[in-house]
Amino acid sequence: MTESLLEVRNLVQEFHTNAGVVQAVSGVSFDVRPGETLGIVGETGSGKSTLARSVLQAPRPTSGEVIFRGTDLTTLRGTRLLQARRHLQMVFQDPFGSLDPKWTVRDLVEEPLVAYKTGRKNERRQRVDDLLELVGLDPASHGRRRPRELSGGQAQRVAIARAIALNPALIVCDEAVSSLDVLIQAQVLNLFERLRAELGLSYLFIAHDLALVKQVSDRVAVMYLGRLCEAGPGESVYREPLHPYTRALLDSVPSTDKHSAATKRAPTTISGEPPSPVHPPSGCRFRTRCPRAQEVCVAEQPPMRELATGHTVACHFPLVESAGPATSGPGSRAATGAQAAESAHAPRSVRTKKSREPRDEDPYPA
Amino acid sequence: MAASLPDLLVTAETARTRPPRARATAGWARTLRLWVPAGFLILLAAACFLWPQIYPVPKPVGGSVLNAGLPPLSPGHIFGTDPVGNDEFSRILYGGQVSFEVGFAVTAIGLLVGGLLGMTAGYWGGAVDAVISRVLDVLIAFPALVLALAIAEGLGPSEVHVIWALCVFSIPATGRIARSATLALREQTFMLAARLSGTRGPRILLRHVIPNVVPQLMTFSLLGFGVVIILEGALSYLGLGIPLPEASWGSMIAQGQQALTASPDLVLIPSAFLFATVMSLNLVGDALRERWGVR
Amino acid sequence: MSEPLLEVQDLKVTFPERGRQVRAVDGVSYCVYPGQTLAVVGESGSGKTVSCRAVMGLLPLAAVVTGSASFAGTQLIGLTDDQMRAHRGADVAMVFQDPTRSLNPTMRIGSQIAEAVRAHQRVSKTQARERAVALLRLVRMPLPERRCTEYPHQLSGGMRQRVMIAIALACRPKLLIADEATTALDVTTQAQIMELLLELQAELGMALMLISHDLGLAASYADEVIVMYAGRIVEQAPAARLFSRVRMPYTQALLEAIPQLERPAHSPLPVIGGRPPDLSALPAGCSFAPRCRHAADDCRATEPPLAEHEPGHRWACWHPVNGEHHD
Repeated sequence: MTESLLEVRNLVQEFHTNAGVVQAVSGVSFDVRPGETLGIVGETGSGKSTLARSVLQAPRPTSGEVIFRGTDLTTLRGTRLLQARRHLQMVFQDPFGSLDPKWTVRDLVEEPLVAYKTGRKNERRQRVDDLLELVGLDPASHGRRRPRELSGGQAQRVAIARAIALNPALIVCDEAVSSLDVLIQAQVLNLFERLRAELGLSYLFIAHDLALVKQVSDRVAVMYLGRLCEAGPGESVYREPLHPYTRALLDSVPSTDKHSAATKRAPTTISGEPPSPVHPPSGCRFRTRCPRAQEVCVAEQPPMRELATGHTVACHFPLVESAGPATSGPGSRAATGAQAAESAHAPRSVRTKKSREPRDEDPYPA
Repeated sequence: MAASLPDLLVTAETARTRPPRARATAGWARTLRLWVPAGFLILLAAACFLWPQIYPVPKPVGGSVLNAGLPPLSPGHIFGTDPVGNDEFSRILYGGQVSFEVGFAVTAIGLLVGGLLGMTAGYWGGAVDAVISRVLDVLIAFPALVLALAIAEGLGPSEVHVIWALCVFSIPATGRIARSATLALREQTFMLAARLSGTRGPRILLRHVIPNVVPQLMTFSLLGFGVVIILEGALSYLGLGIPLPEASWGSMIAQGQQALTASPDLVLIPSAFLFATVMSLNLVGDALRERWGVR
Repeated sequence: MSEPLLEVQDLKVTFPERGRQVRAVDGVSYCVYPGQTLAVVGESGSGKTVSCRAVMGLLPLAAVVTGSASFAGTQLIGLTDDQMRAHRGADVAMVFQDPTRSLNPTMRIGSQIAEAVRAHQRVSKTQARERAVALLRLVRMPLPERRCTEYPHQLSGGMRQRVMIAIALACRPKLLIADEATTALDVTTQAQIMELLLELQAELGMALMLISHDLGLAASYADEVIVMYAGRIVEQAPAARLFSRVRMPYTQALLEAIPQLERPAHSPLPVIGGRPPDLSALPAGCSFAPRCRHAADDCRATEPPLAEHEPGHRWACWHPVNGEHHD
């Protein structure tokens, strides 16, 4: 097996707020292999943006390991961190927010080259021009502009050009296309794909839009309230979701597809409100909104276990009939395809508002 | 519906009082709003400093008592003379020099020292911020007039001492603005992006923080310039600033008070110049703020 | 078909900006029928929000609005603010995108709803309070009495949006306009809120206008869909028809550019280049022609009119595609 480009182990990130200590990321582990795109899907409060920044050590995580190209970034400081982080870059959500409004496009793209003292001035200038062309901008007309003279799509391209300036191995995209219009978003996504092919890049692609994440990713992980629920190949997660939250996400995505349009207005498979991150539910964090929750879900946090090839889930009662609670006996193998398909596509009847044990911590009883 | 449409109804209502689009964003009006007051200031400063070099004017001190109390538009004395016989016009010019010198020195020192201190405190935070903030707090706690009094008593009144006294006020004032602007800036994503690009602290301060904070500081300082001129005028009026018989608009006003009924021009003329200068500074500050989009 | 509830005819909105005229809305006509769900879809700058705010009288004074918007016989364009206030809430209500900014952070929820109630009805404070609780119950808010005493910051985004809906419904409007009301919400919350809106629509017999950039939302929840581009309507059809037999190349481009779950990963998205036109300098002819794959000379010369080429399906294109939209 090829060595992972990025290996994250038990990452924890805490913040101290007036309301108490918030664990935005509570023990997340995953890896990204060279040349692959790992997508992380999560809604508000899932901690995905915090995760992105923690990987980059900005700020340094409270605990856990971030092993990038063999070196644990959490143990590095100062210059050594800068050197190690050179091949790890980030593209942010707000294209204008991530560009200094007083700088010109050229200066912005050149900044990493200057910081790492790459080449002489004219070499750098040439490289900047090449980068701008690579992302589809014209160096002559766009080079001297300031961010406010650009459109959203153009600004994001500048951010991307800056991110690839040092030939990184991995780029973290934190909602990088979410604030762009549909058509521009498609253009930028195509740019990401083209760069992936031409430069051999890997991505950690973080977004709240499941269809978007699946479109660009080889593997997809689903995050809820600081923990990963499920991870696996994109097609697998989509066709045979194992976690009830993944199921709910899939059901909630409004689609222009004929099939789902015909089943529009079907009831959703999730209820209630997201719990507060300051006081997350005990055991499985999703249990307060899960139609399948039982007592064991209150008591024990389900471990991540592999139920299909490369497809892991952290749930006591995953959407596979033959798998029992995670604590009883060894993890069971995945059900056959037909059974899994049936459980994956019979979602509507799963919704229940009936018989649920009263939850002492649930702030929003149904 | 009032509760659910507060921001839009507010927009509609403020639109009624001052429709944003109808306001002259047209080029020429905007240009005028900046360059008319700025032009006035430039001309006035040039006049104060250069006129005496080019055209001979009577000295501002040492006039003959024989010429005392002449009204404006007297031959040879376009603004008249003061009770001691000095030419008012030349005193206005030399007094203007003082105002501009003091104003500029205090503002510049405030910008440089206060600005740097504030930006450093804001950017590095922690212990650095704590120390600098306490220093600034101590400075700003000094009432400028009392301090000027002490300095004047101790060291004797002079232009340089006035500058020192007013710097005690302008450094922390600018410093606080710089600090809060830097704190706000620190939260911006592009600052994180700059760090991730590998740029280090001092360079970030120089190339990212300063260019973004300077517009706010500049507009603040321009308004402060006017305040400093008035303060200098007040100090001189109280006898704590530029000592007589040297000319200063403030001391001229104080002097002219005694002859207010007889020769009101002795008060009115320096007051008019003071007013016009401060007003122009404010207008320039406003125009720049509009251009640079500073809130 | 019954009488339309809202009939918009040739609505135009222009903003003067730096000496030029920005034509934000350029001749828009449509009808909303009682009980219908109409989605207005477009990207930023398409004019979808401006046209609805024109109907509600919520544009800045500098905007020049012409045309007609007739609500149950009453002309809404040109009314003064006071006259418009009588209609807002009672006839037409609006829910906006960001509930955080539309709710007063220093007032309790109950007070804000009660205020909305008393804006249109002469009731006592106690009655208004009771009505507020009833409205929260109507929007399926758990523990409505407790919510009334809370402040907006104590609620989640989805719950705040429910409060906004409760305020909008305070006086039983006949038409509810949801202007990107779910854009800022999570997809699961969005689904819940949309479900709620449809249930309320059925319960109260309300018409619903959904303004959004999200075609998927329109497909899933609307009866009828209008697609806008550069201030004009370019296509209109019942939802099922529009997405299975799209005609206008712009609509097709939008559909193709959306990531679909069913598509395999890394499949390139068909895109069109360019950007929406400058609204102060619209090209002659079809505004989409500069970016259209199928553009021909007649497209660039003359603007195609919006016409009902098939029953129930209007489009504005000289060379429509025969869009059997499939994945």
